[in-house]
Amino acid sequence: MTDAAPDSHYTLERPEEAVDPQSIYRDLRDNTPVVQLSGRSTTGTLTISRHEDVMTALRTPELFSSDSSAVQIGNTRPLVPLQVDPPHHSKHRKALDPLFAPKQMVKYEPRVRELIRELIDEVADNGHCNFHNDIAEPLPSTIFVELLGLPVSRVDEFLALKDGIIRPPARSLEERYEMVKATGQKIYAVLEEVVEARMAERQDDFLSTIIDAKVDGQPLSRDDVVDIGYLFFLAGLDTVSASLDCIVAYLAQNPDHRQRVADDPAIIPHAIEELLRYESPVPIVPRITTADTEMSGCPIAEGSRITVLLGSANTDERVWDNPNQVDFDRESNKHLGFGGGVHRCLGSHLARMELRVALEEWHDRVPDYRLADGLELRYSPGIRQVDNLELVW
Amino acid sequence: MRIRVDTELCQGHGRCYMLAPDLFEADDDGYSQPTAERPVPSELADQARRAFMNCPEDAVILTEETS
Repeated sequence: MTDAAPDSHYTLERPEEAVDPQSIYRDLRDNTPVVQLSGRSTTGTLTISRHEDVMTALRTPELFSSDSSAVQIGNTRPLVPLQVDPPHHSKHRKALDPLFAPKQMVKYEPRVRELIRELIDEVADNGHCNFHNDIAEPLPSTIFVELLGLPVSRVDEFLALKDGIIRPPARSLEERYEMVKATGQKIYAVLEEVVEARMAERQDDFLSTIIDAKVDGQPLSRDDVVDIGYLFFLAGLDTVSASLDCIVAYLAQNPDHRQRVADDPAIIPHAIEELLRYESPVPIVPRITTADTEMSGCPIAEGSRITVLLGSANTDERVWDNPNQVDFDRESNKHLGFGGGVHRCLGSHLARMELRVALEEWHDRVPDYRLADGLELRYSPGIRQVDNLELVW
Repeated sequence: MRIRVDTELCQGHGRCYMLAPDLFEADDDGYSQPTAERPVPSELADQARRAFMNCPEDAVILTEETS
C-alpha cells in the first residue's frame, strides 16, 4: 500500500489554509513531496507537489489515469473527455477542440463585453460592491449557459447544483458522497431534458453542435452528449468565476499592480497569465495510478488516488525565479494554471477571453478600488472562489 | 536561429501564438501552427525566445546556430 508516504497535518480543506496556500505548498515540496494529507476528501490519496512530479503525472496518462475513479463529483458515467484516457480521449477531444478554439472566441467577445458592461452599470455609481456576487459569478455563468444552450432563466438553479457538487455543506465523507450523488442525478436530469429537446430541434449552441459532431465518422451517443454536458456544467460554472475573484482580490490588495493594469490595458493578458500562475485558482487535478511506480523516492502503489498540486508546481523554486513575486513582465512563464498534457483545460481560450474583457471593462470604469475596511477575505478550499470580495472605490 | 513545434508535446496552451504572433498562429483547433522547422528572421529572435521560454509543455524547440 502507500505506507511509505508520510502523513501531514495539512488538509488543504480548511479555510485558513486557503488564504495563503503558497506557503503550505512550499513546505510540502521541501519536506514531504509525496504525502497523505489529513483532510476528509484527501484521506487515502497521495498529494504530489514538486513541478517535476506534477509534470510527470500530467504527461504520463497511461500511468497517471484521469479515469472517473480518480474523483467523486456525482457522475455515474465517465465525464467526456476529461475522464477518458488516450487513445479514446483524443478522438473526443479532437471533436470538441474547434468549439473552444481562439477563432471561435473572437465571435463571442462582443457578447461578453456587452454583459460585463451591464453588470458594471449596476454597481459603478454605488462606490462599493461584492465583486464575487455582482460580477465574477454572473458573468461567466450567464455566458456559459448561453453558449451551451441551457435556459438562461434557470442560471441560479444551475449555480446551486454546481455548488452542490463542488462545495457540498457536508459534515462527513459519507454525507458528502450522498449529497454529491443526489445533486449529480439532478444535473443529469437537466441535461437529459435539454439534450432531448435539441435532438428534436437543433439551435445555435454547443449542445446542438456536439449532437452533430462525428467521432470516427459516427455521431456521438446520447449518453456521450450528456456526459460532455456534465463536464461542461461543472467546469464552465465555477472556474472562471474563481479566477476573476483571485485576480481582482490580488489587485485590490496590491495598488501598484492594480495601477499598472488600470494605466495600461495592454498588460492585462500578461497580468492574467502571471496571476493564474501565482494564485492558481484551480490548484488541484486528480489522477489514479494504473501500476506501481515511485516519485521523489517514494513508492506509489497501483490504484493510488493522486492529488496533483498544480498550484505548487506553479510556485516551485526548483523551476521558477522568485516564484512568490508577482511580476507581469516575467520573461519565462510556463505556468500550469490550465493543467497540462492531454487534458489541458479545453475551455482555456474562453476563460482567457472572458478574464481579459472583464478586466479591461472593470478597470476602464472602476480603476481605483480596494478591499472594504477590515475585510478578511474568505477563499474556498479546492477551487478558490472568494465569496466575500467586498470592494470600495 | 531555427524554430519548430514538437507536435507530440504541443497541447494547445496557446502561449506561443500569444507571445510570438509573427511566428505562430492558432489552427482551427487552437493548436500552434506552423510546426515544421524553419529559420527565424533576426528581427523575430525576441519573439522566438519568448515562445520558447513560455511553453508549459516545452514543445517549442529553438536551435541557436553557433556559426
